Amino acid sequence: MRLWQPLVLSLVLATSAFAQTPPAPQAGLNEEAVSGVMQRAVDEVIRPGYRNAQQSAARLTTAMKDLCEDATQQKLDKARSALDDMIRYWSVIEIVQTGPVIQDNLFEHILFYPDRKGVALKQVQALIAKADPKDTTVDAIAGKSVALQGLTALEYVLHGTGTEDLTTQKNSFRCLYGAAIAGNIQREAGEVVAAWEKPDGVQGSWKHPGPQSEDFMDNKEAITALLGILVHGAETVRDQRLEQFYKGKDATPRPRMAIYWRSGNTWKSMTANVEGLRTLWQKAGMAELLPADKKPIADTIDANLKSLLEALQKLNPDIEVATSDAERAKLDALLVSTRELITKISDDYGAAIGLSAGFSFSDGD
Amino acid sequence: MWNSSAIDRRSFVKAAGLTFLAALQPRALMALERADAIYASGMRTANGSYAVATVTERGEIVDQIALPARAHGMAFSNATGKTVAFARRPGTYAMIFDPRGKNEPITIAAAEGRHFYGHGAFSPDGRTLYASENAFDANRGMIGLYDATGRFERIGEFETYGVGPHDMTVSDDGRMLIVANGGIETHPDFGRAKLNLSNMQPSLTLIDAATGDLIEKHSLPSQWVQLSTRHVDVDARGRIWFACQYEGHRNDLPPLVGSFAKGEDLRFVDLPEETTRRLANYVGAIAINRDEGLVGVTSPKGGASVTIDAKSGRVLREEIVPDAAGIAAAKAGFAVSSYEGGFLSTQSDVTWDQHIVRIAAV
Repeated sequence: MRLWQPLVLSLVLATSAFAQTPPAPQAGLNEEAVSGVMQRAVDEVIRPGYRNAQQSAARLTTAMKDLCEDATQQKLDKARSALDDMIRYWSVIEIVQTGPVIQDNLFEHILFYPDRKGVALKQVQALIAKADPKDTTVDAIAGKSVALQGLTALEYVLHGTGTEDLTTQKNSFRCLYGAAIAGNIQREAGEVVAAWEKPDGVQGSWKHPGPQSEDFMDNKEAITALLGILVHGAETVRDQRLEQFYKGKDATPRPRMAIYWRSGNTWKSMTANVEGLRTLWQKAGMAELLPADKKPIADTIDANLKSLLEALQKLNPDIEVATSDAERAKLDALLVSTRELITKISDDYGAAIGLSAGFSFSDGD
Repeated sequence: MWNSSAIDRRSFVKAAGLTFLAALQPRALMALERADAIYASGMRTANGSYAVATVTERGEIVDQIALPARAHGMAFSNATGKTVAFARRPGTYAMIFDPRGKNEPITIAAAEGRHFYGHGAFSPDGRTLYASENAFDANRGMIGLYDATGRFERIGEFETYGVGPHDMTVSDDGRMLIVANGGIETHPDFGRAKLNLSNMQPSLTLIDAATGDLIEKHSLPSQWVQLSTRHVDVDARGRIWFACQYEGHRNDLPPLVGSFAKGEDLRFVDLPEETTRRLANYVGAIAINRDEGLVGVTSPKGGASVTIDAKSGRVLREEIVPDAAGIAAAKAGFAVSSYEGGFLSTQSDVTWDQHIVRIAAV
């Protein structure tokens, strides 16, 4: 097979390469609309998103403490429900993988995933087996490995082997450790909230790009970052969540690698991820940056997000079943849909608003 | 002869042979005949697929080869004419091809537990290919060694003595490997996410090409630990030039370009504040024009290219180039490409990737 393809781009040459003209000016960014988009992204999406996660973490902490004191099935159900809520709220806002949450590894403290080698499982099991009372405080947990600190560790406490301790023994080590994890998540989420709520901190820096901003010197950099949240968030859903356990029809699925499979929150979490993307896209009014003749791109992105959410609803909550031969076509369709969404946001939308950002994001290459 | 490190264009055409030339469309053939230089660069085509193209210094596309995924940096051997396109991190392929179309391309895959970091270089005799790689579970920078005399089998690896190696090159005598350890931890499980921005460890290392032993390691000063050392090139005196990308506050003014020689401390170029701002704390590529004693850098983020006098460190020229991508020595100054399809004076309906390598010159 001859792989060289002499002048497959002959059309390019024929139409432009010999034109000897200077680079064509790209359609400019709608600078006037940027301020409103950034303000809404911060005030209506990011800040409420983190506040919701922190408040949910507080309810989770309370539910865990109640469980430890009463050790009843009813309290265990409530604690599990509180974890479900926390996973949902976190999954909505975790699409923002920039800003304060990536400082000091706060993100990894709240969620340690993926974990290909099962480090978390081994460490959590060992900690519970050791049952050292010193490991039941928030401070003690905060000083330990990230694998012992976050949502996946707490999921094991509430859904993994040995949960009978939670309903047969008041203030069991397992429960107190779980309460400490919840407290740690609440504290970490609180740090992110505090950073975003300070008017002259990252909040102001994001809302007012320019020389005084610590993040963006101009509107283009700011919108590039916002577009980056959408693109990288969608990539996370595909690469770090779905492809962690399903890489396509030719690869062996690994359902136990799915995030939150023990608690049945795999699809709920991914749905919340996509809801987070849609919330940012819609509430920030990112479509306003499109020139009038490019508005259909927004309609396509809306439709892609809608169909992705609908596709997620149709998946079997049991990941073993969802990855079985009979169900795999749905997952293949999901992979295609996420790829289409990424291309649509990164290439079509990015280019239409006057950025080539989708090609690089100036992210370290 | 304006640069000794590239084969001349007439030799390139002669070596390519009639079969290659006959396969070219008339326009491409004409472009090749009147070209002063030939370059190679990765690109995304108009239909969204990825390829590597040979290009004249005016940006006229001579030929292209399809790639399995997006490429990043390139390496060229003046001794053998072989050229390599490395996958963009955390990619796992590298494609070796003959720009003259004489041999079928060879695609190699990263070893188990490794991925490519997007750059590499040939030994001066063309017998060994070095590639910057990540031993991701151990978070250790590595250089993969490949036998370039055959099918590019992996024959060994050296440590880079740092985290997150990116660009690398080889000294002219072939004895020393020069590595820019960006200091940023990444893992393929997390895509392109940077995992240690609060605790970066950037460094530049010189490594014995025969033994893999560390010769020198230069860490960044404490106030600049978030200054990621990412790209390197070597001037005619053997002096190593490096370019950086800053992960700290956007309104800081870090030094973005510097140089050193073996046995010396790092020396930053004292760029004017206006130039530093223009580069937007992000230099995407660096190149040396040895004959003219020039250092060229580009910034896609700032949309600029800057030319520096290698001897004095003085800025000689600044140009606004929206989405500036690759840079390589030209007969006079530098050839610069852009994500928008610009290549000097020509606009093509492609997206040029971040790096250019010169493979032939008049």
